[in-house]
Amino acid sequence: MDTQPSTSLFPILMTSMRRAYRRPFQYILFVLGVALGVAMMVSVDLANGSATKAFELSTDAITGRATHRLVSGPGGIDEELYVQLRRELGYTNSAPLVDGFVNIPELGDQPFRLLGVDPFAEPPFRSYFGNQEGTGRFDQGALATFLSEPNSLFVLGSLADESGIPLGGTITLDRAGELTTVTVAGLLDPQDESNQRALEGIVFADISTAQEILRMDGKLSTIDLIIEDEADFAAIEAILPTGVRLENTAASSNAIQQMTAAFELNLTALSLLALLVGMFLIYNTVTFSVVQRRPMFAILRCLGVTGGQLFQLILVEAVILSLVGSLIGLVLGVLLGRGLIGLITQTINSFYFVVNVRSVIVDPLSLVKGVTFGVAAALIASFFPALEAYRTTPGSGLRRSTLEGKVENLLPRLVIAWAILCAIGAGLLALPGRNLILAFAGLFAILIGFALVTPPVTVWLMRAAVRPMDGLFGAIGRMAPRDINRSLSRTSVAIAALMTAVSVIVGVSIMIGSFRGTVVEWLNQTLRADIYISPTSATANRVEGSLNPSVVDDLVTWDGVDGASTARVVQVFSPQFDREITLAGVNGDISRGSRPYAWLPSGWDHDDVWDALATGDGIIVSEPLVLREELRYPPEPIMLETNNGPKEFPVVAVMYDYSSDQGMIWMGSDTYQTEWDDMEISTVALFVDPGTDPDTMVDAMRTEFNGRQDLVINSNRSLRETSIEIFDQTFAITSALRLLATIVAFIGVLSALMSLQLERSRELGVLRATGMTLRQMWKLSFLETGLMGLVAGLLAIPTGFVLAWVLIYVINVRSFGWTLQMDLQPAYFLQALAVALVAALLAAIYPSFKLGQMIIASAIRSD
Amino acid sequence: MIDPKDSKLTNKAIMTNKKIVRFENLKKGFQEGDRVRHVLDGVSVGFEEGKFTALLGPSGSGKSTLLNLACGIEEPDGGDVYIKETAITQMTDHDRTLFRRDNIGFVFQFFNLIPTLTTLENIILPQELAGKRRRDIEPAAVDLLDKVGLADRRDTFPDRLSGGEQQRVAICRALAHDPWLVLADEPTGNLDSKTGVIVMDLLLQLTSEAGKTLIMATHSPQVTTLADRVFRVQGGTLVEDKSVIDSDTEQDEEHHLAEVLAP
Repeated sequence: MDTQPSTSLFPILMTSMRRAYRRPFQYILFVLGVALGVAMMVSVDLANGSATKAFELSTDAITGRATHRLVSGPGGIDEELYVQLRRELGYTNSAPLVDGFVNIPELGDQPFRLLGVDPFAEPPFRSYFGNQEGTGRFDQGALATFLSEPNSLFVLGSLADESGIPLGGTITLDRAGELTTVTVAGLLDPQDESNQRALEGIVFADISTAQEILRMDGKLSTIDLIIEDEADFAAIEAILPTGVRLENTAASSNAIQQMTAAFELNLTALSLLALLVGMFLIYNTVTFSVVQRRPMFAILRCLGVTGGQLFQLILVEAVILSLVGSLIGLVLGVLLGRGLIGLITQTINSFYFVVNVRSVIVDPLSLVKGVTFGVAAALIASFFPALEAYRTTPGSGLRRSTLEGKVENLLPRLVIAWAILCAIGAGLLALPGRNLILAFAGLFAILIGFALVTPPVTVWLMRAAVRPMDGLFGAIGRMAPRDINRSLSRTSVAIAALMTAVSVIVGVSIMIGSFRGTVVEWLNQTLRADIYISPTSATANRVEGSLNPSVVDDLVTWDGVDGASTARVVQVFSPQFDREITLAGVNGDISRGSRPYAWLPSGWDHDDVWDALATGDGIIVSEPLVLREELRYPPEPIMLETNNGPKEFPVVAVMYDYSSDQGMIWMGSDTYQTEWDDMEISTVALFVDPGTDPDTMVDAMRTEFNGRQDLVINSNRSLRETSIEIFDQTFAITSALRLLATIVAFIGVLSALMSLQLERSRELGVLRATGMTLRQMWKLSFLETGLMGLVAGLLAIPTGFVLAWVLIYVINVRSFGWTLQMDLQPAYFLQALAVALVAALLAAIYPSFKLGQMIIASAIRSD
Repeated sequence: MIDPKDSKLTNKAIMTNKKIVRFENLKKGFQEGDRVRHVLDGVSVGFEEGKFTALLGPSGSGKSTLLNLACGIEEPDGGDVYIKETAITQMTDHDRTLFRRDNIGFVFQFFNLIPTLTTLENIILPQELAGKRRRDIEPAAVDLLDKVGLADRRDTFPDRLSGGEQQRVAICRALAHDPWLVLADEPTGNLDSKTGVIVMDLLLQLTSEAGKTLIMATHSPQVTTLADRVFRVQGGTLVEDKSVIDSDTEQDEEHHLAEVLAP
């Protein structure tokens, strides 16, 4: 019987440990490569997850055990319906809710959800007022105060304690700039952590207080229901007035979360890019460790170690090091996540939904995912070097020249691989539909393709560089490009890593620059009014609440005002799309005819469109709505749930709009008021008389309304500035991730240079012995790295351009539905060259410094 | 004192001096674990101009270390190296490099050609590093290549050359800049005996023709019969071995070469 001899990896692992002890730098770089890649992935995952979790928790906290809820349009539900439900139907499994956002300056700068509840109806739904032991610091007396005293509030105990607000103390609620002082009647202290977290963003008032603060007299936001019996559906639906609908709670919160899916996927893709660059670094380090140990491996093979054992050794090393790297990456990721969460929350609050996130929720699944990706990336990157180790034959003791010969043979195949990957990438991107994952797969295929074509391009460029470099720098100039080609297995990986990172910088910079340019142009065309007034809001880019009618009257009749356009911005339900859409009821165009349209009926112009709006003959929809809902041109009429039941509105124009990726609808204000019975005004835009200074008028208005309602009054210029500020904040996270990818690439180059320096120490020793001065050696090092940086920078230009094209015309359109004008400026490409060169030259400093310390005789002696 | 910035010593100057390479109380040790192994322990010796000196001794005795100290690529723990009357041990690393580049040629056991440079480029490298123009230095290098029989391989990269050919190129490199001191560390140690003869023949011929001072570390007792002086490195000191020289003084060196080195 054939028996497998028992073998132990332990003795060879010992050699690895000794090597790690004697030459820690390479191992540190490996660990760093994994750690940074994992850190980026985990941080984005945790920040995304924390925002989602915070949203889920607050939604769950509010939904409680409700299975369904009654909802209505922006005006809310008449509270009589609740009475009817209880009295006529005797349906006790129901609870009224008044819901809105407020700012509470005393509790920090995050928005809070003010929930008006009826404590007696609450027990079947939510148990915060159960007064069970440990649920809070309040008694029946406090509950009585809560119910009988106007402006009483229950808040989370720990939050009040943190802010130094005692039971019975007062805090200020800021609702759309209108301030109300309220008393803290009770402190809630839920025992379990998720409830504790959920309540971090919620304050409770009784129904009438909430109605008063949120200006919803006689109205409820929703009526929560627990429906267990199918028969109840029919009974409830029978008494529902038009405009009120029965909604499944799980489905609606899911729909809200879906809003951020594309945004989160974009961030995840960016973080994966960092891991990809990290993989280059790992590959580089492992290849080097194999090549350097080849003579030892050959000896081990002579002594009876099998090729399989060497293969295992490399992979075991990779697993151990990547585990260490991943664990460090997790710690870094959590720390980084804390930084990112603020940026992500800001974007979600600006563009999607209001969420109050106070801390990173460390989800064990994210951590497991991070470690798995870290180890997997290391194993994939180590596979080929491990295969090289496996192929070591006892007699060969292969040297670098053999490996370089193999790389040389690979070059034509790499060009073919590039062509194939680009074709696959283009194919994936050209697939119809809005699948983002396929689009990112296409993008990654193209990026990897360009990384693979780096070695052949490097060889070609370096061959071409020998003569001019010789002319410029003499012998040293001649040596630099030849050295790069001679160590291609090492240099090309470093160049590819740097090229990938720099192309990401170029691509993302062009995308952001084009996006910014498009938005600035759009703002210029759209914002033509001189002064804009809105109530203060819990978050940027979002209008909550409305302006006091007396304030609106004063504004539009202000001396020197030539014209005004008002808008009511609300969320309305579309049965056609089964979701809520932002609708603006407007009475005039703030662009005064200068805005561009993505589509107009043939023969129509701007005036025709706005006339149709004013007469109630049609609505305008935004381009993202058309793309998101995959509408065809000309768009079909859109069905919206009005207070008078579902109604179809013909579309008379499609407008470019960059304020929301969820889509938006504009409707004449008369139609809106009729259909939704809502007379409130959210924002006012004023055109001032020629000759009147808008800034002076803004100051006068601020003085006039100080104390009446806290308003955001912006001149045209400051509104544009604010809008661009929001834009820049939104992209702050992208910039942060871009920077991290560069750091990973920088370490890649540093690692490659260190490897080269170690490998070439003997040759460099000979050069020094032959008369090369230290300064000349520095020059050689910097010429080599400068050339490497230059190649990376040059290659990053076409790669970055392709990346930008895909981001702008495919990813962005599929993710957000925005058409952007690509804005190519030489600065982006010069930046690519500069970044690549500077990163490469910086990376040369430490290896060159180490070279300076070289003892020439030892270097010549070393094998 | 020699100004290292103008560090080229003329052969004329050398010929007028006797012991122009001088070690004074030279000490060198290497750390091995927690103890220091003293390889050279107070070596004081002088080498005459235009002569061939052989250093004999077993592996690890300190022959190579002595050569490394002589050209300044290693620093002693104590004592000084004087070349002409200049203590190169007192120079900065930069000045020592310039001095070495201009005045010393080195032939290594393992050839140590720069793989990214062609044969000719390898030979003119020290001069190019010194800022000399290629067209000025190429003819002499080509001439040397011709002498070693490799004129047709001037544009070949080292990996295409055999061991013997590589060492012939290395000899050309050591001589191209017309140094007055040539150091050779077991130059035939990595070659088969037949090739070793040819290479050694060339080295001795070229150095003696040009009147160079040659100090060579070697294992080969036969080579020592051709030397003007022979030293044995033993116990950290240099001991002159006159026995080999005395027995051969009357013989014709050139005629003897092939015989003594023949396999």
